[in-house]
Amino acid sequence: MGGDLDAYEEIVRRHQAIAFRTAWMITRSAADAEEAAQDAFVKAHGALARFREGSPFRPWLLAIVANEARNRVRGAGRHVRIAQRVVEERRPDDAVPSPEAALLGSEQRDELLAAIERLPGPAREAISCRYLLDLSEEETAAALDCPRGTVKSRVSRALERLRLELGEVEA
Amino acid sequence: MSELEQRLAALGRELDWPETPNLVPVVRRRLTAPARQRRRPVLLRRSFAIAIAALLLLAGGVFAAVPSVRDAVLEFFGLQGATVERRAELPRVPTSRPLDLGARTTLDRARKSLGFEPLVPGAAGRPVAVFVSTRAPGGELSLTYGPGAGMPSTEGTGLGLLVGEFRGDLAPEYLGKITGQATRVERLRVDGNRAIWIEGAPHLFFYRPPDADFADSELRLAHNVLLLERGNLLVRLEGAFDRQRALELGRSLR
Repeated sequence: MGGDLDAYEEIVRRHQAIAFRTAWMITRSAADAEEAAQDAFVKAHGALARFREGSPFRPWLLAIVANEARNRVRGAGRHVRIAQRVVEERRPDDAVPSPEAALLGSEQRDELLAAIERLPGPAREAISCRYLLDLSEEETAAALDCPRGTVKSRVSRALERLRLELGEVEA
Repeated sequence: MSELEQRLAALGRELDWPETPNLVPVVRRRLTAPARQRRRPVLLRRSFAIAIAALLLLAGGVFAAVPSVRDAVLEFFGLQGATVERRAELPRVPTSRPLDLGARTTLDRARKSLGFEPLVPGAAGRPVAVFVSTRAPGGELSLTYGPGAGMPSTEGTGLGLLVGEFRGDLAPEYLGKITGQATRVERLRVDGNRAIWIEGAPHLFFYRPPDADFADSELRLAHNVLLLERGNLLVRLEGAFDRQRALELGRSLR
């Protein structure tokens, strides 16, 4: 049991960041995301016997995480905009520019974030999972509980809509 | 990958995500616990819920009309030394009890008697009075302040600010709060320290010493509160002030 637990601890350590962020993307609440990720790891451990050996672990785990997170979403009033959250949680003395800051100016970033926020829910979730969380199509499909084909079409439509919003469609 | 996709990916890397908590110890603890204890401690322990119910009854309350005591918890927040539960409906407290802060003393004497070095919010000026209670392991310090700039008088106590401090590491669930839905509960960081801001409708407040399932030292309605971890201390700043003022006070603790 101890050896199993040590191995599972390593799994938790390796996947806790993506589990927490995926849960946060759905709940937009750090407290809910923490609980959802925690419960998901406990449930996943109990369900390991049902995990198909040879299958990728992350999509399976993220499906459990996303399910736990969705159970905690209660009403539209809980929706926190990503941009707002980022601004609120960042202290002035933390504002160390990242390497990407050179690629993405703050105005562009705000514009892009605002455009993402204006997307319809399913499109926003698909874009958030694929690009902001950097999940694969398979992982996104597991997190959103839909087929990979649906992820593809949602992402494609969302990108089209973003280009329109950002005035990047060629006439 | 198109340029837009590259920008989206860069945005994801640049986002200042909420800090990922270390889930390893708590998951391990839950997996090694007996099966019946594996659930996250979201719901009040039964004996604890019964104790609250009994307390409301003793306080001349209307427990029969307060099924909300047993309502499901909507949200749970925790710090070292404090738990906050948001419930569908706040249990009704018939009367507001007077503050029970312990024996009056001075800051110098408190320093000698407490098991920790007290923190004082410099932004609040000088405390009007200092109290020490032995209710919490390591002792509990209370500082009271009169109304002042950004610290309006609090209904019920007349205080501008009430500060409470104790060793959260010695009593991880000592301070308990139950809020209703009209109260906003926000988890945040104050200079890197974990904190919880509670604002809006008054909430229920009680103590839960580690050696007892429940002790009625105080059950009362509290106002806006900033709960803040500082080292091994849990600091409570309570008053009718707003979030910004609470953060100023929290950051000025020395």
